[in-house]
Amino acid sequence: MPVLELREITKVFPGVRANDRVSLVLERGEIVALLGENGAGKSTLMNVVYGLLAPDGGEILVDGKPVRIRTPREAIDLGIGMVHQHFMLVQTLTVTENIIMGHEPSRFGVIDFATARAKVRELSLRYGLKVDPGARVADLSVGMQQRVEILKALYQGARILILDEPTAVLSPQEVGELFGVVRSLVTEGLSVVLITHKLDEVMGAADRVVVMRDGRVVGETTPAKTDQVGLARMMVGRDVVLTVERTPARPGETVLEVRDLVVLDERRLEALKGVGLTVHAGEIVGIAGVDGNGQTQLVEAIVGLKRPQSGSISLRDKDITHAAPRATIHAGVSHVPEDRQRRGLVLEFDLAENLILGDQRDAPYARAGIMRTRVIDEAARKRIGDYDVRTPSIRVLAGNLSGGNQQKLVLAREMGRDPDLLVAAQPTRGLDVGAIEFVHRRILTERDGGKAVLLVSMELEEIMSLSDRILVMYEGRIAAEFAAGEADAERIGFFMTGGSKKDHAPAPQAGTAVAGGGGL
Amino acid sequence: MWLSFLTPDLFASAIRMATPLALAAIGGTICERSGVVNIALEGMMLVGAFFGVVVTLATGNVWLGVVAAIVAGVLLSAIHAFASVTLRMDQVVSGTALNILALGLTGFLMEVIYGHPGATNGIAHKIGPVFNFPTGGTGVLATIWSWVDQIVFSYTPIVYVAIIIAIVAQWAMYRTRWGLRLRALGEHPRAADTVGVRVQAGRYVAVLISGALGGLAGANLTLEQVGVFSDNMTSGRGFIALAANIFGRWTPVGSYLASLLFGFAEAIEIRMQSFQQGNQIPVQFFLMLPYVLVVIVLAGFMGRAVGPAAIGKPYEKE
Repeated sequence: MPVLELREITKVFPGVRANDRVSLVLERGEIVALLGENGAGKSTLMNVVYGLLAPDGGEILVDGKPVRIRTPREAIDLGIGMVHQHFMLVQTLTVTENIIMGHEPSRFGVIDFATARAKVRELSLRYGLKVDPGARVADLSVGMQQRVEILKALYQGARILILDEPTAVLSPQEVGELFGVVRSLVTEGLSVVLITHKLDEVMGAADRVVVMRDGRVVGETTPAKTDQVGLARMMVGRDVVLTVERTPARPGETVLEVRDLVVLDERRLEALKGVGLTVHAGEIVGIAGVDGNGQTQLVEAIVGLKRPQSGSISLRDKDITHAAPRATIHAGVSHVPEDRQRRGLVLEFDLAENLILGDQRDAPYARAGIMRTRVIDEAARKRIGDYDVRTPSIRVLAGNLSGGNQQKLVLAREMGRDPDLLVAAQPTRGLDVGAIEFVHRRILTERDGGKAVLLVSMELEEIMSLSDRILVMYEGRIAAEFAAGEADAERIGFFMTGGSKKDHAPAPQAGTAVAGGGGL
Repeated sequence: MWLSFLTPDLFASAIRMATPLALAAIGGTICERSGVVNIALEGMMLVGAFFGVVVTLATGNVWLGVVAAIVAGVLLSAIHAFASVTLRMDQVVSGTALNILALGLTGFLMEVIYGHPGATNGIAHKIGPVFNFPTGGTGVLATIWSWVDQIVFSYTPIVYVAIIIAIVAQWAMYRTRWGLRLRALGEHPRAADTVGVRVQAGRYVAVLISGALGGLAGANLTLEQVGVFSDNMTSGRGFIALAANIFGRWTPVGSYLASLLFGFAEAIEIRMQSFQQGNQIPVQFFLMLPYVLVVIVLAGFMGRAVGPAAIGKPYEKE
């Protein structure tokens, strides 16, 4: 008998059928991957199971018995636990407090912290989830926080564990550890639903795969019976080129030169501790690293959004260290920001307006301070065609486009300016396979056209497939540099997690650890 | 002059002045920890102070007056809870509206009930001190005893209650199930929701507690300190309490200690007024001092205060 069975679950949002008669079966001790692009309805389905959304139709059976799950509490009581993509942890509380909340061991309302800590320690030992019960969650790394989330679910008695995009924020090592933990949970008799859009995870970790598209289940298979290409086809509904075809780079003159850059973060701590790098024309330099190791500050300093404490930035020998964004744009820097909705676009503006942001004062879009609507619209139509932004009209508001089309819009504007340097931060974050393919091809086209490209991404895969040189950032420094094809994920991951500080690297032949990160 | 200035009486006065601030501040702490901004503390104190007097005059029982003050505070806070938790209104707007409502309501009812503007009738007997130890005599020991008596044993009940509430609330916030959930509500309500904590109910309780404490603060003002309600008599104390809550970093004991600082400023202000006969400094200058202190403390002294992360944000299920 399956531990969890969903029968024809339907969930309708205004204008969208997020789930259309979706059925799914989860057996005891099994890992089922729920695969699909963003917006396919995976998270909606699991939020229904966890009582966060009320279904409009269908049936949920736990241990063969039909149940109604109206609140997370009822889901928890049925043994269903969920680790959300955005952690449900209270940053200011301790690990123990977070884990016990909702089920506190207490007498007359007074919490028995000794018992609580003991229980947390016991669970953490049993499943190999090492964590300090007294630590404040805010002080933990993302990987650690995820452990706390899993412990929380186990503490609440979860037998069915739903993991929503669990690897999105992890380093390759942490991903390895996570799947180790998941394996041990399954051998202990738990059942796991893994929500993901990453094909390699499905192939590596799942016993069975259920593929969703546009709110429906479009197929079911096992990793043994298919491969990544087959999965991608099921997921997207057409053939997808997964590997980017690229010719070797032909680097030209130096375009960007950064020296000894020190930048403070908002807490006035050094986020960059003396970073140096160069990017040549016709070359893609990829910055790998776990989120929060200074990549954001590096990008912001280069594009003029953040004032460096010391060091210098120059573009084709012109100093732009302290240039404001307007001046950096004029100098020839284009920027695809990591948060397209906050910094890349004005969501309340229409497409034509968004496409000239940054150029709005200049010819040919403005004359004597007056916008020339006809010219602007003409340019907008052309770029929207060039970049394949799917929209009924240029008068549509940017906020109404899908994520992929929003990103194409940003690219259309930034590349349409014909810059010398393109700084692209997380250019494919949250995009589906089809859009990722487009963005990657576009970035390579720019490189082949002689542009210098600085690519920052949490996705190691992306860095490895696009970059001609790879720099690894760790704690505000460049920890290592690799040439294209010189390093594998494991070696890069090693430096991403501070590996250079330890005694030995796993395979010492390739890659140069750059001491202090200063001189490149 | 300085010797006659720094008397035990000044310290006792500081503690008395701190009491209404502290009660309201602790109410603010509890409310804001749940994620609801409460700038209506001023109004809650005001209705508490007013209805305390009204019920005392009507029944002749000052303790019924205290109960009425608390009930009045709770009722006003219930409006705030309904507006900001259920209707998801802007909490600052709701609080501002309630402050205006409290001011208008008390001013209006005062005229309707007592027939004259400006103030109510005075109550016959204020609540007296809890202890009444004999003092007097001469010698060092007698002097020391009189100091101890003044600083420790000279207060009315609500003054002691405020100290007890500060300690109990601090303990409850960090040791009990209620406290843990309260702290989670203001930081990450969705996290609390996903483990089965009822966010809206928790916030209601917190807002109502702040109303009760605000009402009690009002009762202390009229029924223990002044004996009569006059128009807008809280004169910004609710806002000073809010500042004390921030200065106390959203903890009950911290709120109490911060209130003590502001209470001390108020005590000095009163003392200065009595010293000012003959010199040229206008009385308004002294009246200003506690507020100046608030500005200095909040702007200069404490650095950046980090409040609950989800404060002011109405919670909506997905």
